[in-house]
Parts: sequence; structure tokens; C-alpha cells
Amino acid sequence: MNPTLVRLRGVERRFGSVVALAGAELELRAGEVHGVLGANGAGKSTLFNVLGGLLRPDGGTIEVDGRPVVLTSPRDAWAHGIGLVHQHFTLVPTLTVSENLALGLRGALEPGLSVQRAVRELIERTGLDVPLQPRVEELGVGDRQRIEILKALLRDPRILVLDEPTAVLTPDEIERLFDLLRELAGEGRAVTLVAHKLDDVLAVADRVTVLRAGRTVLTAASGEADQSELVRAMVGDGVVDTIALGLGPPPSGAPPSAPHAERWVVRLRGVDVEDERGWRLHKVDLDVAGGEVVGVAGVEGNGQRELARVLAGRLEATRGTVELPEQIGFIPQNRSTEGLIGEFDLVENVALALYRKPEFHSGPWLRWDGMKRVAEEIRSRYEVAAPSVATLGGALSGGNQQRVIVGRELEMSADLLVAENPTRGLDVSAAAFVHDELRRLASEGVAIVLLSTDLDEVLALSGRIFAIAAGTLRPVSSRARDRAGIGALMLRGERRTAVDSALERGVDDG
Amino acid sequence: MSQAELVLFLEASVRLGIPLALAALGETISERSGVINIGLEGSIIGGALGGALGALAFESAGLGVVTGAAAGVLAASVFAVFAVWLGADQIITGTAVTIGGLGMTGAIYQARFGVTGTELSLPTLAAVRVPLLADIPIVGSALFDQAPTAYLAYLLAPTLWYFLFHTPYGLELRAVGEAPDAAEAAGVRVLLVRLATTLFGGLLAGIAGAHLALAHAGTFAENMSAGKGFIAIAVVVLGRWNPVLVLLAALFFGAASALQFFLQALGLDLAYQIFLALPYLLTLAALAGWVGRARAPAALALPWESKR
Ligand SMILES: Nc1ncnc2c1ncn2[C@@H]1O[C@H](COP(=O)(O)OP(=O)(O)O)[C@@H](O)[C@H]1O
Ligand SMILES: [Mg+2]
Repeated sequence: MNPTLVRLRGVERRFGSVVALAGAELELRAGEVHGVLGANGAGKSTLFNVLGGLLRPDGGTIEVDGRPVVLTSPRDAWAHGIGLVHQHFTLVPTLTVSENLALGLRGALEPGLSVQRAVRELIERTGLDVPLQPRVEELGVGDRQRIEILKALLRDPRILVLDEPTAVLTPDEIERLFDLLRELAGEGRAVTLVAHKLDDVLAVADRVTVLRAGRTVLTAASGEADQSELVRAMVGDGVVDTIALGLGPPPSGAPPSAPHAERWVVRLRGVDVEDERGWRLHKVDLDVAGGEVVGVAGVEGNGQRELARVLAGRLEATRGTVELPEQIGFIPQNRSTEGLIGEFDLVENVALALYRKPEFHSGPWLRWDGMKRVAEEIRSRYEVAAPSVATLGGALSGGNQQRVIVGRELEMSADLLVAENPTRGLDVSAAAFVHDELRRLASEGVAIVLLSTDLDEVLALSGRIFAIAAGTLRPVSSRARDRAGIGALMLRGERRTAVDSALERGVDDG
Repeated sequence: MSQAELVLFLEASVRLGIPLALAALGETISERSGVINIGLEGSIIGGALGGALGALAFESAGLGVVTGAAAGVLAASVFAVFAVWLGADQIITGTAVTIGGLGMTGAIYQARFGVTGTELSLPTLAAVRVPLLADIPIVGSALFDQAPTAYLAYLLAPTLWYFLFHTPYGLELRAVGEAPDAAEAAGVRVLLVRLATTLFGGLLAGIAGAHLALAHAGTFAENMSAGKGFIAIAVVVLGRWNPVLVLLAALFFGAASALQFFLQALGLDLAYQIFLALPYLLTLAALAGWVGRARAPAALALPWESKR
């Protein structure tokens, strides 16, 4: 058997009253790819941030090479050969790629080896190609993910952990990443892949560990554990949201029907959005009818953000015509920064969407009583776990924040609902709730646009599907309606920077 | 202006620009790490008094610069403890240090020398003439027949530039000012860096204050810093957080003040205030992006705390 490099025992960690880890166990062996599964919020990232020296554990022990260690900083972790690719990017947007790669590398390279050379050799060896001169903020998320991986590999870790790296990569890139992981394990490293999708993990892992509610509930060789066993381990007795786990739509969830051509609610023609960094959207045509769910799949950073905001009436198109209905509901991706105001209580947060309506006014004054009643209704109907409507938005968990936002947008009785990654970071039951509400709303005749980086979510919920790549929207034919087909469309035109689009326009935007 | 007047004007521009340059170079370093030290004025006036007392005690202007620098660090350490270490609001803490610095130096001065009205007479920093360079026509003597503190500023500007943009330590410092969480994840000790840059800023502001007392005036007067701490902060913006440009911007501000004196002295009936306002207008223009892009460090003025 391969030697054990890392052993975590009884690791605990709390954030205020939230218990993120309650006795997690993990064993990582040399030469293996280890998959770590768990629903959102299970504590995976917390566990590996502890191993990476970024978070202090409240309890438990960490052993490296059989000896207990205390990790008080990322530098400590590197000293033990532990490299972590974070789930949330830890790059400095305003620095160049080379600068980001060099950051903190002082003394970590073999003497005499320049950062530039080390980076070039690594790119050659791994095939993770990134441009080195631009600032990180000019690059898309795919590039950023590759940079994060390179950054960890530059220190030549014996123990490499990748926390959900697949979310922003295309199926093709994921395939190549997995090859690389196998190769790295083949060199005798302990490689760990964290994911919340079964397929990703089963495709590459030798052994699997499942976390649930901060505890390790199962460890097995990946050949020994079957899918249903893993699913049960992940969700316990809770709701099984098959979409969130990448298992396809539930039996009842046939995608909503084709559009009623007579009820077009949205009409975009030749829509361009351009900013100082180039095109964000280019010649987008899109019609959406009441009662259908239109899915837009794509790797993050390819124009979804702009498309969502054009559809929600929050961003003006540079060119083209935009026809939108009066009432538009919008579920933005960043719940805590764009969806809710953390310092406002639930009534005020609900009021943000409603205060313009005449029934909440008397003369120039707001009618707080009416809005308070709506907030109370949302809290009970959508089962928001909050002691009262006076609870501050920032005090809610992600899932409950999303329940408030979804509830609020549904209460608006909109004709169009724009949902941008509506289940990202939610636990299974919250994700299932959002999916059910979207379906219900479509069946009541509301037009829904679902923009998601989660291919499975798009496939399961949508009628018509579009792929978005480098600001261009392409319809997905019914033949290409699977991961591979959409993936191929998503790949086209990846990584278009300001320079490329400036060249296309034939101007110098220096 | 005759040639002689021009030379005088340039000489005055440099003399007035040097304290600004020193303070602004220090502030550039602290702002690059995300700390905006509005308490700079406190360090300058502290440096002026500290410099005066030191120069008297040791009967040496040179040692006065050392005690002035120490006083500047002392004032900045108050800011460092409250705003950087404890995460208090940087603007409020800085304002407190400024007001406190002005008040305390006044009180110490009065307690030590009484309110006699007679001017304190201090050992002064003699100008040092650099051979050859000072003989360059017109600009030579203006730039190279100055107090030693001027040469410190000339040397620091390129040195700090090299440090910021070509050493790993400078890279870490900039990362702390742009994205402290990312810097921490990359193994940089964010608070330590910010404490160090704040104290360094205080050190240079203290030297700037000592320069005011010992190279300019040869005396100490209450409130003699006269807002130079705040002007230095504007100089940093006009110099786009780049030490070399900051030095030039400081000399430009110096020239604007010198011009004002000259116009008054020449008895010209011009609204000289316009010239005094010019650098500020340019600073605003720089901030608004009209004279090239001026982007402040992304994490400037944001208190930071590790999430460990
Ligand atoms: N910095 C933090 N502050 C407060 N709560 C946190 C923080 N990080 C994680 N949590 C909470 O801890 C739990 C576990 O989160 P996480 O480790 O990110 O889960 P996973 O990576 O498995 O999705 C969640 O309930 C999350 O809300
Ligand atoms: Mg996670």
C-alpha cells in the first residue's frame, strides 16, 4: 500500500454559531488521486483551508508524514509540501500574471532558478497555457483557474489539493486537467480533487471521502462505492436534488414545452455591449416567450453577467434593440453583494424590490406596514430560517438569503425572471427549492432565462438552450443537447482579451 | 524674469518641494500597501519639533534630523496601532493624529520655551554643493546646492521605485495594497507589512518636518507644517503612486508655491492664488483620469483583519 502522507483526525471549526467542521477525518496517500465529495456547505473548503494553513482549526490533529504538525500560515503548509488551489480565486486582479505567480515565492524556488523560467518550464510540462503579460483582471475565469493551478504547482507540492476547479472549465479542459492529475499522482504525489458532482470525482479518483455537515461519513475505494450509496452519504435523509449532484433531471421534471410564438416577452436584436476592455456581448439575438425556460450555458466570464443585466434592464446595450416587459424579476449571482443588503433587515430588503409600486405609497411616504406584511409572508411561505423579519440580511446563511431573494422576486408577479447561477453555493435542499420554484413559475406562464455555469442544471431545467462564448450566443441544436455538444460550443472563442477585440475592430485602444 | 531671478525661483521651488517630496515618498510606500495615513501632518509637525529639540540638545542639525525622524515614527506609531493593528477607521484615526500632533507640539513648545515671542534660533543644515553638477547652468545650483535632505529625496525616489517594482518584497507590498486576502493566501504577513510601511512613512515625514525647522526656517513655530501633510497626500495622487513621478510632482508643487511668492514680490497685479491652485487642479485631473490613468491601490484605506 502507498504510504500515508496526510492524516486529519477529528478536525473541528466554527464560524460564530455556524459549525463548519465537527470532527472531519481524512487520509491522503502518495500516488493516489483522492476524491472528496459533499453537498454545498458540507465543510469541504473549510477542511482544506485548515490543511492549507489559512484557517485555524478549533480542534483535532493534523499529521504529515506521521508527525503531528501545527500550521499557522500558508507558508507553514508549503514547508510541509502542501499546495492548495483555492475554490475562490486568490489572485491579485491588478497585478500581471507573472507577478501573481511570483508572489510569495521568495525562497521557494531552487536557488538560481528564475520565476520566469520556472513558469515557462511548468507551462510546457503541464500544458496549462496562460499568457504571462496581461493583468489578471483582463482574463477570463478559465485562465484564472489555470493560473491558480500553476501557482500551486510552482512550489512543487507533494500534496496537492484542488478545491472545485471544474466549475469554470469546459468539459474538454476538465478532461485534460484529470489527465494531469493522474500524471501528478503517478509521480508519487498525493492529489486531492474536491467536487460536489459525482461524475467528476468518479472519473478520476482512486479513493473517495464523503463529507456531510462537517463530518466524514464515508471513505471507500472508488470502485467499491456505488452511486446511490455515495448520494445517500452526501445528503443523508435530506432532499435529493438530482440536478445539483449531476444526476440529471428528476423523473417528473420534463423540460417545459416549446415557446408559444404569440407570447414573446423578450426580444433582443443585434445587441452589443462594449466596455473599455472590449466586447462583452456581440450581436446577440434572443427571443423568450412566456412559459418557457431558456437556458444559457457557458464558462463564467463569457458575457453571462452582461446578458443577465441587459435582460434585467440594469445595463444598457451599446447597440441593438432591446424589448423587455414592464415587470422583471432578477436573481443575481452575488446574493450577498447584489441580491441583499447585509445591513438591512428583511423588511427593508424586500422593500428594495417593491417600494416603487403604488400600493406601498401614501403620498410621498412609504407604507412600511404593507411591505412588512409581504416580508412576513415571504418568510413563512418560503420557509426562511430567520427568527423574525427584523433579522439582518447578512445574518442569514446563503440558502436562506436565496429563499428571500427568490421569494421577493416571485412576489413581484413579474413577466420575466432572470436567474443567474441561482443555486451556486446552496445546500441541496435550498437548491431543490429554487429549481422547483423556477419550474412552477414557468408553468404559470412566466418567461424564465436561466444563466448558469452548471451544465447539468441548464440541461435539466431548460426548454431551449444556448451556449455563450466570448460574448456570442449560439443556439444548441437538439442533437447537440448533451455535455459534450454544449461543451464544444462553449469552447469557441475562449479567451478573447481587449487586444483581440481591438484588433477585430481595427483600432488601437491603448 | 531675469536669469538671476529664474535661478532664484528654481532654487526656491526645490527648497519648498523637498519636504513635500520626503513626506510624499513615505506616503507612497504606505499607500501602496493600502494604508492612507491622513495623520502625516502629525508626523511632520512632530518631526519639526523633535528636530528642533534634538538639534538644540546635541548642538547639531544632523542629529536633529535623526531625532526628528524618531518623532515622526512616534506619531505614526499611534496611527499604526489604532488604524492598522486594531482596524480603526483610517480617516478618523489620521485626523486625530494630525490634530493631536499639532496640539501637543504646541503645548510642548510653550512648556519648554514659554510664550516669549522671541524666535528660537537653531543650528541649521548647511547646503552642500555637489561639485560639477552644481555648475550646470541655471538648474545646477537650484538642484545641487541644497541641504543634505534634498539628496536623500533624490536618492530615495529611484531606490523606492526599484524596490516596489523589481524586488519580491515590493511585489508583496503592492499585493497587500491591492488584495490583502490574496496576499495572505500567498503567504504574506499583511499586518506586518502595513505596520512597517506606516512607520516608514512616519520616518520620512519626520525627516520632512526636521527639514522644515532646520533647513528652511532655522527655528520652530507652532503649526509650521501648515498643511504639508495633506499636500503630500495630493502629491502622491498626482505622482500616481510612483516614487519617481511623486518626486517630480513634489517639485512641481514646490514651484507653484515659489511662483506665488515671486509674483507677490514682483508686485505683479496677478491673482497669484490661481498658481497656488494649479497643482490641486492637476491632482483632480489626475484622479479623474484626464492626465493619464491614476488608479489608487484597490484596498486603500480599507481596514483588514485575517479571517483565521
Ligand atoms: N468565513 C466564513 N464565515 C462564516 N461561515 C463560513 C465561512 N466559511 C464557511 N462558512 C460556513 O461553513 C459551512 C461550510 O462551508 P464550506 O466549507 O465552504 O462548504 P463546502 O466547501 O463544502 O461547500 C457553510 O455553512 C458556510 O456557510
Ligand atoms: Mg467549497
